[in-house]
Amino acid sequence: MIKLQDIRDTARDMLAKGEARAVIGYRRGSRGMLAEPAFLTRPEEADELVWDPTCFHNLSLYLVHDRKHLAHARKTAGAPVAVIAKGCDARSIVVLLQEHYFQREDVYIIGVSCEGTGVVDERKLAGHLNGAQAISAAFDGDDFVFTTAEGEKRLPAREVMADRCLECCSPFPKEHNLAFGEDKTGRQLEAPFAALDRFEAQGAGERWDNWARHFDRCIRCFACRSVCPMCYCDECVVDSITFPVTTATTAEEKASRIRWIERSAARSENITYLMTRAMHLAGRCTDCGECDRACPVNVPIRLLNNKMEKEAREQFGFEPGASIGGPSLVASFLDNDPGNFIR
Amino acid sequence: MEKILDKKRLGDWVDALADYEVLAPAWEEDAWGYQPVNGPIRLDHPNTKQSPKRLAFPQREVFFTFEQIKGEAPRLTQTLPEAPRHAVFGVRPCDGRGVPRMDQVFNDYVEDVYYNTRRKNVAYVGLACNKPPNANCFCLSVGGSPVSTDGLDVQMTDLGDRYFVKAVTETGKALMTAAAGVFAEPSAADKKQLKDMHAAAVAYPQRAVNDPDGAPAKLKANFKSPLWDELARACIGCGICTFLCPTCHCFDINDEVQSKAPLKGQRVRTWDNCQFPDFTMHSSGHNPREGTGARLRQRVSHKFQYFHENFGMHQCTGCGRCITECPVGIDIIHVVNKVAANAA
Repeated sequence: MIKLQDIRDTARDMLAKGEARAVIGYRRGSRGMLAEPAFLTRPEEADELVWDPTCFHNLSLYLVHDRKHLAHARKTAGAPVAVIAKGCDARSIVVLLQEHYFQREDVYIIGVSCEGTGVVDERKLAGHLNGAQAISAAFDGDDFVFTTAEGEKRLPAREVMADRCLECCSPFPKEHNLAFGEDKTGRQLEAPFAALDRFEAQGAGERWDNWARHFDRCIRCFACRSVCPMCYCDECVVDSITFPVTTATTAEEKASRIRWIERSAARSENITYLMTRAMHLAGRCTDCGECDRACPVNVPIRLLNNKMEKEAREQFGFEPGASIGGPSLVASFLDNDPGNFIR
Repeated sequence: MEKILDKKRLGDWVDALADYEVLAPAWEEDAWGYQPVNGPIRLDHPNTKQSPKRLAFPQREVFFTFEQIKGEAPRLTQTLPEAPRHAVFGVRPCDGRGVPRMDQVFNDYVEDVYYNTRRKNVAYVGLACNKPPNANCFCLSVGGSPVSTDGLDVQMTDLGDRYFVKAVTETGKALMTAAAGVFAEPSAADKKQLKDMHAAAVAYPQRAVNDPDGAPAKLKANFKSPLWDELARACIGCGICTFLCPTCHCFDINDEVQSKAPLKGQRVRTWDNCQFPDFTMHSSGHNPREGTGARLRQRVSHKFQYFHENFGMHQCTGCGRCITECPVGIDIIHVVNKVAANAA
C-alpha cells in the first residue's frame, strides 16, 4: 500500500534541494471528490499532494506542455521536472523519450504502482451511487472507499474501475527514478483487449451502425486530442491555421487550399478526424484512457486506439512504451516482417 | 394561466402537441440528452449533458450556397433554415436563462435571421429544480434561481404525483390550451404546496460566486494578473466548457467547397471556441492569446465582465456544466472567487 506521506516527502525534498524545478502531481480539486493536476514549485506545497482512485490524469501531457513552453520562450530546461506516473503514464513517457521529445535527464519519474486496482470510472461509479455525489475516494486493498453525504460506501474496485485498468497487465511503472507501491506486473483482472473483443464480436453491420452513431455524436471539442500526450504536433491536420494567407493570396488559392477536414461536426468529417488520430497513435498509444474519459459525449474512442494496438501486437509483437531503447513501430523494420510487399 | 397536471397525463399533453416536434431529456449513451419523444417521458433528469442552445444555434448552419461557372459571375442562394416547431420539455431554469442571453447577442447589432428563424419556432417548457440537480449548480449567486421562469414559455414544478404548470408567455399559454382537457384547476392546497416547494428550493444550499456584483470591476483590475496563468496551468485547451455552455455563442464561418469545376459549395457557420489555440491565431502567425491563461481569462471575463458591461447582466447562468465536465478540474466558481479576492 502506498503511503501518501512518502510521495509528499519526496516532492518536498526534491524542491527544497533544487533537484527538480517543479513537481507535477495530483491534488484535491475544488469540485467534489476529484483530484486535479498540481504543479508544485515550492517545498511547502508538497502537502497538497494526494493519491487516490480519481488520479486519472496522464501527467506526461504536462511534460509536453513544458517543452512547448520552453521552446516558445527560448529557454533551456535546467533541473528536471519530477512527475508522478502510473504504469500507463510511465509508458507514455517512454514513448516520448523514444521519439526524442525530451531527454531522459529532463524528467524525474516518481512512479506509483496501481497495485491491485486502478482508477475509477465515473460513469460506472454513478451507477452504484444512485444519484448521490461522492465527496472523497480512497484506495483500500482491492476496494475503493467513497464518502457521500449519506455516509461511507465501500465497493470492490473491479466493479467501478475503468475498463483499461481491468485489462492492464503492467500497472507498475517499469521506467522510473523512484517507485512507490508493490510491483503487480502481470496482474490483470480481464484479458487484454477484452472490451475491444466484446465490441468486435458483433457483426460488421452492427459494428458499422454503432460507429456511425458514435461518429454522428462527436461535437469536435477536440478534448481527446488535447488531453493526449501523444498528440503533441504543432500543426494538426484538423486545424485551419497551417495555410499562410497574405495580401497576395488570391481567392482561388484560398478556395482550393487543401482542407482535409472541414470544421463542420458532420459524420464524414468526424470519421476523418477520429480515424486519422487513431492511425497516428498506432504503436504510440499506451492506453492511459484519457481520451475516452475526457469525451463529453462518451464516444468510445479507446476502442479505436485499442484496435491499432491489437494489430501491432498480433502482427509485430509490439507493445508501446515497453523500453526506451526499443524500436518504435513505424520507424523500424523486421527481416521477418509478415508483409511480403515490404521485403 | 396556472394548472395542475397529473403525472400520468403528461403523455396526453405531449400527444396533443401535434403541431410540434416534442423533445425531452432521455438517457442515451450514458448521458442525458434532448431526444424526440416517442413513448412515455419521465422528467427526472438532473440536467442534460449538452444545453438546449443548439435548437436555435446549431453547431452547423448553412448560410448560402454558391456556384460559379468559369468566366461568369458567382451565383449565391440564401438557405434559410426550415426549422420545425419544437417544444422542448424539462428545460432547467439555468438553461432557460440562457435563452434571453442568446437572443441578446444575436439581435444586438444585427438581427441574425438564421438564429431568429429557428428561435421563434422553439417553445421552452421548463422544469423547476426542487433541489440543485448537480453538485456544481450555482444559479442563485449569478442572479438566477432554481424556480426562475426567465426565458421559459412554461414552468412546470414537480409536486410529487402531479405537476404545477404555469404559462409564462403567450406561446406557453397556447401549448397548454392545445391540451386543455388534460389539466385540472389548482386548489388552494396545490398553490400552498407550490409556494412551499419554491421557498425550499431557493433555500437549498448551493456553491456560490462570492461577490457577483463586484466581479466585473475585480476582473477588470486583474487583467494582467499572473493568477490567470496559474489558474489555467492544467487547462488542455479543449472545447468542452464552451460547447456545453448554454450561453457561449462564438462561431467561425467557412466556405465548404463541394466541387472545383464548376466551383460549388456552401458557406457555413460552425461553433468556435475561445479555448482553442487557433481561435485568435492571426494569419501572420502571431497569436495574441497564446497561452491558456489568456484564454481562460477571456472565457471567464466574457461571462463575468464584458457581457455585464455590454448588457448589464452576467452571461453565466450557473448551470455548472463547464465545472463538472472539465477533464482537468478548471472550476469557474473557484477562478472568479480567486481572482476577485486578489488585490490587483
